[in-house]
Amino acid sequence: MSADMKAGAPRGGMLVDGLAQVGACGLFLLGMLGAIPRSLRHLREISRQIWFVGAMSLVIIMISGLFVGMVLALQLYYTLSIFGGTAALGTVVALSLYRELGPVITALLFAGRAGTAMTAEIGLMRATDQLAAMEMMAVDPIAFVATPRFLAGVIAMPLLANVFSMLGLLGAHLVGVTWLGVDNGTFWSNMTSNVDVWKDIVNGTWKALAFGVVVSLIAVFQGYTAPPTSEGVAYATTRTVVFASIVVLALDFVMTAFLM
Amino acid sequence: MPTAAAADALVEVRDLTTMLSGKAVFAGLSLDIPRGKVTAIMGPSGTGKTTLLKHITGQMRPDRGVLRVDGQNVPALGREALYALRERIGYLFQNSALLTDYDVFENVAFPLRQHARLPEVLLRNIVLTKLQAVGLRGAARLMPSELSGGMARRVALARAIVFDPMLILYDEPFVGLDPIALNQVLKLIRTLNRTLGITSILVAHEFAAVRQVADLVHLIANGQCVASGTPEQLARGESDWTRQFFGGDADGPVPFQYPAGDYATALGFTGAAA
Ligand SMILES: Nc1ncnc2c1ncn2[C@@H]1O[C@H](COP(=O)(O)OP(=O)(O)O)[C@@H](O)[C@H]1O
Ligand SMILES: [Mg+2]
Repeated sequence: MSADMKAGAPRGGMLVDGLAQVGACGLFLLGMLGAIPRSLRHLREISRQIWFVGAMSLVIIMISGLFVGMVLALQLYYTLSIFGGTAALGTVVALSLYRELGPVITALLFAGRAGTAMTAEIGLMRATDQLAAMEMMAVDPIAFVATPRFLAGVIAMPLLANVFSMLGLLGAHLVGVTWLGVDNGTFWSNMTSNVDVWKDIVNGTWKALAFGVVVSLIAVFQGYTAPPTSEGVAYATTRTVVFASIVVLALDFVMTAFLM
Repeated sequence: MPTAAAADALVEVRDLTTMLSGKAVFAGLSLDIPRGKVTAIMGPSGTGKTTLLKHITGQMRPDRGVLRVDGQNVPALGREALYALRERIGYLFQNSALLTDYDVFENVAFPLRQHARLPEVLLRNIVLTKLQAVGLRGAARLMPSELSGGMARRVALARAIVFDPMLILYDEPFVGLDPIALNQVLKLIRTLNRTLGITSILVAHEFAAVRQVADLVHLIANGQCVASGTPEQLARGESDWTRQFFGGDADGPVPFQYPAGDYATALGFTGAAA
């Protein structure tokens, strides 16, 4: 597939190449969605992949969430104290985390940790003929390799984003209440009365789900179509991080504008 | 030219034509693979031997021509029919292509788990039987990264025969093996053919090994089958092709020089060339 595409690709400009990639990626997504019924026979493989991507990213996402929450508390405490509004610290931190930073930073970390691993793994499977071997054993590699990883990423992302936000709140509480002396009761009550579970938390979860779709799609597609050489796989992992980051940040703007 | 009668051919190739990146890999290739025999496919590197195996298994489609496996025209098969056919074909990749996520046992069990709902006890017995056949029952719990090249190839062979196929394709199974491992693989190829009657197609360059096991050899060059016969017939070298290939001459029908423009012109002696 990759070899054919490479051989047949017009030597057009970057725009044409880019559009062709987007088109191929869209077709690949349709292929994976079409394979979902057959993938459901490989439930064991799907749960194994959820475990992999989840376990792989959990620690880095927890640590990052904690630090981001701590920094947020410091910065916002300073800003809010200018207006004498430090009582709102919990609210502002929670809204920033759940609506924005949780999904976005989780997606970026997820692309760097689990996304690159997916790309490299699938690329190497192609380079070492493992995908061809599956074809020869009458097992569809899209249904067995691509779709389970894609689904695992889509399922794991919202969970990880919520873990990130929760740890962020914990970090903000540590800094704001324990260190800077914001009243514990004020921190929570102000937050719980102003953060709307449906509007804010579900809104952020939709974002995380959408980011899960694009990051996993890019990672699996890059791996599946990587040239079967060491450079090919290396470039593909780099492209996964670059493309996934750009698409996540752009999509974040669009979704924020529409979901406000 | 095909020597076996088409009637007892498991694989029939007729007028196969394939273009890859603007080059004709096959230009009207015709040959037969007789049932129950070991047939070797030989030829210079890059001549399309792997491509031929991929055509036979439907991994690649030719531009024109007929390619029948057990009576079914492979290029015309849909996905379901193709997958059904592949369940009856074993394919040994040159680099073994074991699934790196799974240990030896699970690699051999993989096709069974995917296609047969077997009780675990039965599955275990089948897998251990196949591993015993290749002499690696004791290695069942090793990971592919812990195997030597020869062991990996034997595991891949156990996996290829787990469904008792009617046809096995070996793509350069001897490359990179030490003489002991080579003889082990050679012995397995012969045993599988002689005791189970599995039709075998063997792509290999090692004529010494090929003549020990092959009933028939097809020599492919320039997109066509240029010579066919028993190893002994081909070794006698009655055509330019066989003389060059089995005699190992650098120049002959297969040119030493990659096609190029006039040498004198390239060196700047335009006057001398004219
Ligand atoms: N997917 C492909 N795309 C373009 N060219 C290919 C492809 N696969 C093989 N080729 C070309 O076809 C020719 C035959 O390749 P191959 O079948 O691997 O040769 P062999 O196995 O006899 O060494 C080579 O020139 C190779 O470059
Ligand atoms: Mg080859």
